[in-house]
Amino acid sequence: MGNRLTAPAWAVREYGKWRKRRRAWLAAFICTVAAVLICAPLLMIPGGSLMDNAEMKRMLSPILGEGKGFAVWHLIPLYPTISHFYRLLIESPAFYRLFWNTVGMTAAILLGQLAVGLPSAWAFAAFRFRGRNFLFGLYVVLMLLPFQVMLLPQYIVLQKLGLYNHPAAVILPAVFSTFPVFIMYRGFTRIDTEILEAARLDGAGEWQIYFYIGLPLGKMGIQAAMVLSFLEYWNLVEQPMAFLEEQAKWPLSLYLPQITIGQAGFAFAVAVMVLIPALFVFALGQDALEEGIAYIGVKT
Amino acid sequence: MFLLPGFSGVMIFYLLPFFEVARRSFYQSGNGVFTGTDNYRAVFENGAFLLAVRNTLLYMAAGVPLLMGISLFLSLLLRNLVLRRKLVSAMLLPMAVPAAVMVLTLQILIDRQGVINGVLTHVSEKITALPDFSAIDYLNTEWALVVVVCSFLWKNTGYMVILWLAGLAALPKEVEEAAQVDGANRWQSWRYIIRPGLSGSFFTIGMLSVLQIFKSYREVWMVAGSYPQAHIYFLQHLLQNWYLKLEFDRMAALTVILSLVLLVVCLSLQKRTD
Repeated sequence: MGNRLTAPAWAVREYGKWRKRRRAWLAAFICTVAAVLICAPLLMIPGGSLMDNAEMKRMLSPILGEGKGFAVWHLIPLYPTISHFYRLLIESPAFYRLFWNTVGMTAAILLGQLAVGLPSAWAFAAFRFRGRNFLFGLYVVLMLLPFQVMLLPQYIVLQKLGLYNHPAAVILPAVFSTFPVFIMYRGFTRIDTEILEAARLDGAGEWQIYFYIGLPLGKMGIQAAMVLSFLEYWNLVEQPMAFLEEQAKWPLSLYLPQITIGQAGFAFAVAVMVLIPALFVFALGQDALEEGIAYIGVKT
Repeated sequence: MFLLPGFSGVMIFYLLPFFEVARRSFYQSGNGVFTGTDNYRAVFENGAFLLAVRNTLLYMAAGVPLLMGISLFLSLLLRNLVLRRKLVSAMLLPMAVPAAVMVLTLQILIDRQGVINGVLTHVSEKITALPDFSAIDYLNTEWALVVVVCSFLWKNTGYMVILWLAGLAALPKEVEEAAQVDGANRWQSWRYIIRPGLSGSFFTIGMLSVLQIFKSYREVWMVAGSYPQAHIYFLQHLLQNWYLKLEFDRMAALTVILSLVLLVVCLSLQKRTD
């Protein structure tokens, strides 16, 4: 460094600040564009559900195979109508059956996971027993396997138990899924083990520790597991398709693809009804959801 | 004990039936004759199997690096932003969108005469420097794989961004600040501080991306059905179709093969995370 001409200190500082700000703005801009791109397809849904059939047909006629040129899309319908919702909510009793099928299935699965998975998670977090590491490893492998690998094994067992084509065929395997156990376990490991030991020294029974220390302090993990499970099981496709023969027992997520593109407005109305509960849970459980995903990657 | 009810369920619905399938993979169903490795040979000689393996590998080769690259880039940009939380939730939104809903919008966008081709044609007509754009039939040509990869990216980017951000948050901030004070530029601090610090995350997120590839069947099936264009015929289609055709012998063998492969992925993942 020789006798280089240097700018006054305040100018250097200002320049540095300006560069930093510019960088932050650029980063914010790029990320906003990415976020908007990701969310953009969803903007089609509300408009679509309120669009009358004539407008829909005009826009989509190239896709329907009746015209040249290309389909267009109006984000805001020219002649909004609630006729699709009327048809869906008033004139389609089948919709309610499928809707309640979905609600019932999801609720049964979540409650089952709480009843069964929560104690399992606690067992892994609070006790050191023989074979614990091996068992836990097994749980992790099971949670990472895709459904298709378990398709034949589960079919065999459901057939043996006589549950094939019964809603329990979807519910029971999901209840014993090891994924929520893992998430709740990660939530429990955040608890300081000294607290547990102190409680044991003070003569608290294991059930007392579980109810009065484990559950309140592991709340975040429990919430995370429930949100992740809800989003997964609200959207079930493969399991009911494989194990439920009667369409009357299907959930809503299998009903939507059956509506042809010719009835796009109606399909969008169904989509809104499927989407609302999921978005509701997403909005409520956002912190838990992000926490839960982070649990999957973080080292323990 | 706390674990017993849960574990017995896992035994009944996961472990025991799996071992039963592993046993059956060496027998002929129906008459129960021991056939040794015949079922496995039948799988490896099956044309659809080879096609599905090739496609799945191709899908992985395109999807995993793209997903990891994009999500890492975004999380590096995001980590110091004020708006971070809002943007991350926006990117996570696809997790809440049921596959059926996504497919509905996709059909309108990517049809040969769909909205995307409409826009592209319009643009290429306006700007004479561009070559003439002839509408692509995305789902019925090799472009189908591109569509699948894009929907995979759409669905999983937010998820992976969160994992990267968690990895970045675990890095000690002081080291980077000290380096900046000493005059390290952004490339240097990435090259010598951030990247080595994230090496564990690279591995974990890579493996999780591979597993997400296998879990992304739902969307593919909904867009293209059980017999899609030949480039997006994956191993899951094969298993599903053999199931529907009651070809349980070969299916048992394939189940064992696939789970062994995934077991290796999972175990290597575990070694690193524990």
